[in-house]
Amino acid sequence: MATVTLSGISKQFGRTRAVDDLSLSIASGEFVVLLGPTGAGKTTTLRLIAGLETPDDGRVTIDGADVTATPPAGRDVAFVFQQYSLYPHLSVFDNLAFPLRSPARRVPEDEIRRTVEQVAGMLRIGHKLMNRSTQLSGGEMQRVAIGRALVRQPSIYLMDEPLSSLDAKLRADLRLELKRIQRELDATILYVTHDQIEAMTMADRIGILSEGRLVQIGTPREIYADPDNVYVAARLGQPSINVLPVGVLPAPDVPANAFSIGARTEHLRIAQADATSANARLDWIEHLGDQNHLHIRIGDFRLTTLADPASDLASGEAIRVEAAAALYFDEDGKRIR
Amino acid sequence: MSQQEISSSVAEQVAGRTPAGVARKVRGLSDRAIAWIFIAPTIVLLLAINVFPLIWTVYLSFTNFRANRPNRDVEWVGLRNYERVLTDSDIWHNMLVTSHFLFWTMFFQVLIGFGLAWLINKNFRGHGVWTTIILLPMMLSPAVVGNFWTFLYQPQIGLFNYVVSFFTGADPSSFQMIGSVDLAPWAIVIVDTWMWTPYTMLICLAGLRSIPDYIYEAAEVDRAGPFRTFWSITLPMVMPFLMLAVLFRAIENFKMFDLVVELTSGGPGSVTELASINLKREAFEKWRTGLSSAFAIILFVTVFGAANIYVKALNTVKSR
Repeated sequence: MATVTLSGISKQFGRTRAVDDLSLSIASGEFVVLLGPTGAGKTTTLRLIAGLETPDDGRVTIDGADVTATPPAGRDVAFVFQQYSLYPHLSVFDNLAFPLRSPARRVPEDEIRRTVEQVAGMLRIGHKLMNRSTQLSGGEMQRVAIGRALVRQPSIYLMDEPLSSLDAKLRADLRLELKRIQRELDATILYVTHDQIEAMTMADRIGILSEGRLVQIGTPREIYADPDNVYVAARLGQPSINVLPVGVLPAPDVPANAFSIGARTEHLRIAQADATSANARLDWIEHLGDQNHLHIRIGDFRLTTLADPASDLASGEAIRVEAAAALYFDEDGKRIR
Repeated sequence: MSQQEISSSVAEQVAGRTPAGVARKVRGLSDRAIAWIFIAPTIVLLLAINVFPLIWTVYLSFTNFRANRPNRDVEWVGLRNYERVLTDSDIWHNMLVTSHFLFWTMFFQVLIGFGLAWLINKNFRGHGVWTTIILLPMMLSPAVVGNFWTFLYQPQIGLFNYVVSFFTGADPSSFQMIGSVDLAPWAIVIVDTWMWTPYTMLICLAGLRSIPDYIYEAAEVDRAGPFRTFWSITLPMVMPFLMLAVLFRAIENFKMFDLVVELTSGGPGSVTELASINLKREAFEKWRTGLSSAFAIILFVTVFGAANIYVKALNTVKSR
């Protein structure tokens, strides 16, 4: 495993700047997740590290060696593509063995067999080895794709939304599995997703991307509790943070230059209230079983927050909402600390 | 109205508008009858111009019928026509000539066709124009191509002999592509390859284009070099297309007639006399209708059987 560094990387496609002056360092054994919406430049960043794209500007180094001009084969990286990209005419076994059969590194066939069987067992596809890769379910295909990366010990694993096309149950399983495997192998992984749960649960550090720029990078805790701006704050949290103009929601210690208030579920205090003290109305309650989503109307604005399912609030009720604490942002959306 | 009431009333409306039975009648005709009316013209046409002649040919192959003497009594001769075809050394010679032609045209057309498709697929500048230019020979009439190449093969003024002499230094009039016993079989292979390589190229190109880029990217990251990528990804994935092209071309070339008649008429002697050329002679010059019917049936069964075996092989390649 190795340290991977991007310094001042830019990449333009036609007139769109896919990646814009991005710098990032991934330590050996670290699991970094890049989080951002579609078009934020996540995939392009991965492809730049893999060498599938050449940057217009900046440098990529792996373990201190400049690989900016090195083709993918020379970089010793493994890539898990979003669209599986299995070799359709090969069996599962041959798909997994493909990277090991590189003529550059003559691995004996019995060692290949051992490695492939071990990885297949780890991903629970051991019984499918003789199947054709096109006869698998989506989840199995994706596990083969991940397995094809895991049979090697590359300098870094690059994963492009590998779980996005799976159903929720399988996604949750593989999420845990992937984190376990990463710990076991002490693997360096750069993982791209737009799913905040994947980011929160797996990452050592999360990098938030927007329009090709790295907006903020830090541990999941830091990104969640201490965002630099509104954009980052809105990326994490379920339901997402409520951003309201100052003055709508009663809050303590509002800084003088604050333009908006960001209130997460844990910041809010909600109580039933009579006509004089009430400042909001409870529009609708969504019962999710273990928790309730409250949809609240305050002035002309809406809030969404969580409540204890045992609470006796009912929809249509007048309530009082205040923030016990909050995140404050200035006019440009920058956080006021 | 609650959500549930709305959806149930919508369901009722939809149910009310759906006709009760699927097998409904239009002016007293059932769906099935209408379907038959639509396909009847096609079936009648097929029976009249495909199935009936085939059956009639089978019947004629057991008789001594001669089409130039229609009023003569027709005699049933049993398997004698088949026996004569299969023991005729001239016909075996025709089959040998056909095999030579078939093998080498397929060999060159696959090799060159795939190579051209590979180059065109690199999407260099102007590849569209080149594709069109390469496709031109295929669009010409075989009669035109045949005529045209007899001029190119002309020993004194022909471009072909001139080009060969330019590269080898041999005297252009020292050899005759069409006139020589040794060269004539190759002359027809060259012309057919010139004319039909574009066809294999087109099908190979479709195969190459069907391989998604990300497969190549995966191979690149998996550190497969250009050779390995070609042998273990490109070739196996294009294989079904390639085999299909060979199937179509082989069936066509087994029946090859027009191009070769125009070029050599089977000569010199009979070195380029393909099975179909001799068949035409037997049927319409010697008027041995019964014998040539048996010959035609034998050719038909051969190509039909071979094609079936081949399609089986193709399906195993496809499902591998």
